[in-house]
Amino acid sequence: MTGKRLALLGILAATFAGASPSGKLTIEARLQPDRVAPGEPATLTVQVAFQGLNLPDVPPPVIPGVQVERAGTAQNLSILNGAVTRTSTTVYRLIPRGEGVIPIPPISIAVGKDRAQSAPLTLTASNAAPRSQPSVSGNLPPGAAPSGRPEIFVKAVVDRSRAYWNQQVTYRLRLYSRVDVLGDVDWKPPSANGFWTESLGPPRQGRVRVNGVEYAVMEWPSALFPTRTGTLTVGPARIRCRVARVIQPPDPWSMLAIPDVVPEDVQLDTDPLTIAVDPLPSNAPAGFAGAVGDFHLVFHVDGLTVRAGEPVAARATIAGTGNVPSIRDPEIHARGASREYEVGTSTRLERTNDKLSGERERDMAFVSDQPGALEILPVKFVWFDPEAGRYRWQNSDPVQVNVVPDSTGGAAAAPLGAGMAVAANRMRSGPSGTLSLEPTALSRILFGSSALLLGAAVLAGRARRRRDRDPRWARRNALLPLLAKDLAAAESLAKTKEPARAAAVAEEALRKAAGLRYDAEIGGFARPERERALLARGAGEAETRELESLFGALDAIAYAPPETRRADAVQAIAAARKTMERYLRELGG
Amino acid sequence: MNRLLLLSIAVFLPAHAFAGVDASALYNTGTDALRRGDTGLAVTQLLAAHRIDPRARDVRTNLAIARARADEQGGGDHGSPRLPSSLALSSTESWNVAGGLAAVGALLLLLAAYRPRPRGLSLFGGTVFAAGMLFGLALLLHAREEARHPEAVVVAPMLDVLPAPDERPVSPYLLAAGEEARLGKARGDLVQVRVGGNPIGWARRSGLWRVDEAPRYTASSGSK
Repeated sequence: MTGKRLALLGILAATFAGASPSGKLTIEARLQPDRVAPGEPATLTVQVAFQGLNLPDVPPPVIPGVQVERAGTAQNLSILNGAVTRTSTTVYRLIPRGEGVIPIPPISIAVGKDRAQSAPLTLTASNAAPRSQPSVSGNLPPGAAPSGRPEIFVKAVVDRSRAYWNQQVTYRLRLYSRVDVLGDVDWKPPSANGFWTESLGPPRQGRVRVNGVEYAVMEWPSALFPTRTGTLTVGPARIRCRVARVIQPPDPWSMLAIPDVVPEDVQLDTDPLTIAVDPLPSNAPAGFAGAVGDFHLVFHVDGLTVRAGEPVAARATIAGTGNVPSIRDPEIHARGASREYEVGTSTRLERTNDKLSGERERDMAFVSDQPGALEILPVKFVWFDPEAGRYRWQNSDPVQVNVVPDSTGGAAAAPLGAGMAVAANRMRSGPSGTLSLEPTALSRILFGSSALLLGAAVLAGRARRRRDRDPRWARRNALLPLLAKDLAAAESLAKTKEPARAAAVAEEALRKAAGLRYDAEIGGFARPERERALLARGAGEAETRELESLFGALDAIAYAPPETRRADAVQAIAAARKTMERYLRELGG
Repeated sequence: MNRLLLLSIAVFLPAHAFAGVDASALYNTGTDALRRGDTGLAVTQLLAAHRIDPRARDVRTNLAIARARADEQGGGDHGSPRLPSSLALSSTESWNVAGGLAAVGALLLLLAAYRPRPRGLSLFGGTVFAAGMLFGLALLLHAREEARHPEAVVVAPMLDVLPAPDERPVSPYLLAAGEEARLGKARGDLVQVRVGGNPIGWARRSGLWRVDEAPRYTASSGSK
């Protein structure tokens, strides 16, 4: 094969299989056949593979002019060297309603950032294409033919009037017509209480002679599985369609008389049918779970030697004819497994020869952590064969799987990532603690205390702000530094041989203190004005006199004899302190 | 001074020093499981050990390796393991720090209320108090989330997470051993699995182990 041909094949493969840029997600769509007659099904198979656990949904394609039916899905999982790959296969039946070239758009899927898209396909619907399905015979059972030769009529027939519980009864709804049917036929399935109903495919067409007249027949087949015993009734089905009636002219010999074609809407109902349903025999073997039909069991284990810690997969497949969707999966167990888990189940259905058939698979995986033997126990499947009228069963053989030590010997430290190795075990116990995330007792106490402290802080702050707004408190606060600083400075000066200056400082402090006490501005006033101001602000005459006497004593220090000046200053300043401390008390100190 | 020292010790001494689960026992069980390749058990035990002893290097190392293995088994990227922070606090320590911050902040506010010019101290105290309360609120929300949706780890090699029969059928999720999730409501043998705050389906209860129940599990237990 030349290089050019290889390149061409590569391009073709890429055209029909889409992959994400990382290559982890792929999707492939196949159409088989790509040329069918209208009403005939083509199979669209969509296969998705993802190197990870989560498979995306495969949305059913929306194709104008085509009826799309999901025919089955299957999933698979493989673990190779610890890497997981999941695949899913979804099968759709595409049934074109008319002729034409029908484009099938790409199917897009996404898992996280990985996106993939299948290649677009084309389905050709042509009457020239071979029809895969045989035409419906449409023959009526004896006595079921209508009297006369009606232009159009409906019949519902079943292949058996007596059946076992869960045995398939094939129900066929047929429309016989010897006039043209215009457009689509609308049909309403019968009420089938007590039956599990499965469609057996799209409607079929054919021709048949009834009472010597040829009719076109359209048939809708269904499979009914009784879910109750006794006499069950399948209700009437209804068909609505439009037919072209030909009205003959009154004078058939007239050359101008052309028959009229008048469309007419027709509604037809079938007669109800009765089916006697027998219960299954009472001697059912152990393990019977309700499967009725013709089945067989296939059991497969993917390896007879496995490393410790790695899974071995076992698959049980039940295939055959019958109500496959209602089959209960067989139990698969193993002896010596450390863990077991269900990998998945899948169901595939087929509707050929008016029989519902298919297969149901169940995959289990078993892991043994210890080297030795792992035995997968026999799998038993029991079903009832309605044709033979007896139960049948099938057992698989037990499978011995040899579990060998893993590559690390089971206990070696496993380096991983950027040179990180598993840290060694601890020799000592501790620390101890709780795994609960609830608040600890200590934190509750702390939060409670902080709430109390915050409350106290708020109350204290409020009280302080209220006090700060009080004028008397403000005056008192202004008085404090006079006592603490100014008068203290005066006392210090008096002791350091500067009595005159000390007296001046003390007099100034006393003047300010008196002004604060009586809330009066007396700085710079002469004595008479000062007395008037103090009296006006509520100072008593005795108080005013005493204050003036104190001012006089402090004034006199500068003129006192040097030998008594210091002692006089100390005495006068002490008197001033006494007065100022009294002011402080009177202001609320 | 001695009283102050005692108070500091009482505030910051972890409560788990007095009672509870031995972190070393959890660590050793998780490390043994990691060596055996039992990733689910390893992650469960090491996560539990990390809750108690979050700054221990051996716990952080083995937890990072176990998580990386779980990621590999789940089909994720094969990157190098990321060590959890070495500055993390345990739940007990976090609660005590939050409570301590709030109490110190409130105390500073109280002191500021008695000072003539309290602006700087008030600001500092208020900031410390608010930090403690916000930290406590975050811890409380985390604790409520843990109570409603406890943290759990997948211990089955593969766990099917499917929609309930009465829910819209969607493609099932598969979780690998060691993947972390949160649990929701329980129905019979099934439990709702939540990832990223959203429910993704229902799975067998035995396929997931709660981290806060890690001491109940031993190295020889498994899932069926």
